[in-house]
Amino acid sequence: MLEQLLIFTRGGLILWTCKELGNALRGSPIDTLIRSCLLEERSGAASFNYDVPGAAYTLKWTFHNDLGLVFVAVYQKILHLLYVDELLSMVKQEFSEIYDPKRTVYNEFDNVFQQLRKEAEARAEEMKKSKQVSKPVNHNLGKKQGQVQKGIMDGGNQKKSGAESGNDGGDGDKVNSRAMENGNGRSKVSKGNGVVQANGKENRSSDSGAFDVNKLQKLRAKGGKKTDTIVKDSKAEPTKKAKKNRVWDDSPKESKLDFTDPMCENANGNTAVVEAVQGESMMDKEEIVSSDSETEEDEEPGKDSKVEAKKKGWFSSMFQSIAGKANLDKADLEPALKALKDRLMTKNVAEEIAEKLCESVAASLEGKKLGSFTRISSTVQAAMEEALVRILTPKRSIDILRDVHAAKEQGKPYVVVFVGVNGVGKSTNLAKVAYWLQQHKVNVMMAACDTFRSGAVEQLRTHARRLQVPIFEKGYEKDPAIVAKEAIQEANRNGSDVVLVDTAGRMQDNEPLMRALSKLIYVNSPDLILFVGEALVGNDAVDQLSKFNQKLGDLSPSPNPRLIDGILLTKFDTIDDKVGAALSMVYISGAPVMFVGCGQSYTDLKKLNVKSIVKTLLK
Amino acid sequence: MDKEQVEQLKIQMKQWVNEAEKFINDIPPVQLYVAVGVVLSTLILLLIIRLFKGTASNTIVLTGLSGSGKTYLFYQLRDGSAHQGTVTSMEPNEGSFILHSEEDKKGKLKPVHVVDVPGHSRLRPKLDDFLPQAAGVVFVVDSVEFLPNCRPASEYLYEILTKASVVKKKVPVLLLCNKVDKVTAHTTEFIRKQLEKEIDKLRTSRTAVSDADISNEYTLGVPGEPFAFSQCHNRVIVAEASGLTGEISQLEKFIRENVKP
Repeated sequence: MLEQLLIFTRGGLILWTCKELGNALRGSPIDTLIRSCLLEERSGAASFNYDVPGAAYTLKWTFHNDLGLVFVAVYQKILHLLYVDELLSMVKQEFSEIYDPKRTVYNEFDNVFQQLRKEAEARAEEMKKSKQVSKPVNHNLGKKQGQVQKGIMDGGNQKKSGAESGNDGGDGDKVNSRAMENGNGRSKVSKGNGVVQANGKENRSSDSGAFDVNKLQKLRAKGGKKTDTIVKDSKAEPTKKAKKNRVWDDSPKESKLDFTDPMCENANGNTAVVEAVQGESMMDKEEIVSSDSETEEDEEPGKDSKVEAKKKGWFSSMFQSIAGKANLDKADLEPALKALKDRLMTKNVAEEIAEKLCESVAASLEGKKLGSFTRISSTVQAAMEEALVRILTPKRSIDILRDVHAAKEQGKPYVVVFVGVNGVGKSTNLAKVAYWLQQHKVNVMMAACDTFRSGAVEQLRTHARRLQVPIFEKGYEKDPAIVAKEAIQEANRNGSDVVLVDTAGRMQDNEPLMRALSKLIYVNSPDLILFVGEALVGNDAVDQLSKFNQKLGDLSPSPNPRLIDGILLTKFDTIDDKVGAALSMVYISGAPVMFVGCGQSYTDLKKLNVKSIVKTLLK
Repeated sequence: MDKEQVEQLKIQMKQWVNEAEKFINDIPPVQLYVAVGVVLSTLILLLIIRLFKGTASNTIVLTGLSGSGKTYLFYQLRDGSAHQGTVTSMEPNEGSFILHSEEDKKGKLKPVHVVDVPGHSRLRPKLDDFLPQAAGVVFVVDSVEFLPNCRPASEYLYEILTKASVVKKKVPVLLLCNKVDKVTAHTTEFIRKQLEKEIDKLRTSRTAVSDADISNEYTLGVPGEPFAFSQCHNRVIVAEASGLTGEISQLEKFIRENVKP
């Protein structure tokens, strides 16, 4: 049965609720939906699951963009209500006719709604009857529905294979719940045994970090094969570049990057190592963004309109632009959105992300009136810009210094764990962060917990000596979790404020290593888990982050697993205008980009400039 | 083909220009001057009105964390009730109206332009659109769920208090402790002290330590002394309200102090 149906404005005022249903909802599913789904540009999805102890709801929604209304239906998750989508669209149609911005009470809508609900239920009943005749066809119905709504027409094969494997391993119960999830079901198939448990976790995480594992599961199958090749490619590039001694325009010329001076190695303390002082870290420099790209921006839509003009004829398009189009529908938006999606993809945004963003923008524009003297493409562009700014604006405070001081007051060291795949620059950027913190009078300690790769400890030791920072090391072949624990104890003793924990790089599919990582995190419960990712990745960014997050969740022994808190984007200097990885990573994890590494020297650490990224993405 | 058309158009244009010239020549010059004079004077008048309006702002901005009850208060101010309740806002609510409690009063009242800016952190950039024309800022604090939200709230408040548009114009700020009807609500005094303490910490972490990674150039309070709201350049006052029971007289008083009726 339907639990609740709400109509509210985008401003947040509830206009109408169904009184006869009137069940008090447990928890606050509506607020959670808005915060972790609609405001995160995930409104292109078909449904949202809300799970708290004692309540499990599925929410479906639809917008009336022109009037700024939102319609939300809530029902028990275990039920499989086919008629909800239809009911919502009918309610939307009827309600928009009587809606008046000045009115706030719509009591007479009760009767209309009853009528609509009966109609919808009757139709659903009919469908059920016909369903019983041909069972296997309708088995996929729920899933198909979800898929069509999302507008994903490809991947038909995958869907089939998903359904098959589900039948193989599944008892009837499982199949049932899969169908109900409307297309999200594939995740369960791939997970096999941990179905029920994982479900709870997924929803909890989407609650806090807006990390929706459900939807990302699809990527696994696709991304899995590509992964290796992409990473290989991207690895080859930086190593070539790293050999050259680059000179940066705004930093003093570095005489040598090689600090492994044999003199220092031998003479323990006899030759005082000069502390590396290279001036201010770039974190502290304000970036000046020139606003010259305005002219460039105008060029692109100009092209679009030319294409349009060819199709529709000069006069009608002219007339439309003056009069303003009545209401935008999907067909109008399609060409502009397609162009935008392609543009995002050329900027290295993962395809999946670009697709979802475009859907979400389409959902926010559909039905809206086009103002006079505006083109569709520019309207779409403006909506996309707003969405991008919203995504990239950090949700949590990224003021690490503030957190460090808070931890200091409590008398605990602030622990940061750097995680990531191989060769993305964890150690290098750990040193940069150490340098930046040191500049701000924070006592830093490094912990060499990469006990796996040969030379890793020596590398960190070199950095530590160069920066005059104490380092905690226990050699190789030790359990990194224990090393980290001892390091934190040591930091407690010697009064360090921050412990930077370096971990071994690992591929996201390497289960034993991922298990070790989640143990390290569980044992030490760090204050910040930084995912280090390189800006060079394209589609693989999604795979890396989602799997790291998921593995940390699944393999953790604790019931409330920690997920990635922030992102450190490295090799940002090598990508020119292909800044898409930043968007992909933030979108997929919901975690903000806290630092950007942009070079080899210690000062090359920056903050993400949201405005310039958005400008570059839409250029 | 095209050239011919262009030529034709040119000829037609010339004809029109000629006709227009003739028409103007026919009118006596005195009339012409009068007409121009009238047009100019109306333009100047409009400009003056615009300027005059711009100086006396009547915008009150409601801010605060998500879930503190801004939208509820907005509708309390406008309609005297929040109807069937509110959910998390996705867009700002805006309205120019005479306060509900003043509707019975006789005489002409100046309407208040109230803006309710969503508290969700992703929507915070919207605040910058409204702050420059604000006559007063109301920072709503949830006094029941205060302690878990203390740090984000003080960070947000710190941001507002150091905004150039607030400091320069000395926009008064009201710290409104909402939901005081609840038994577990903290007292306003406690909330004020906690916020002052938190902002004091923020001050050290944001200004003393790093001087360039923040975009606001204004520092808060007197260096070397613990921060208190009384040190602000602009007036910061604390008040309490309860959106649920409609006890918002202190908020209304603040609004009317800053937007003269």
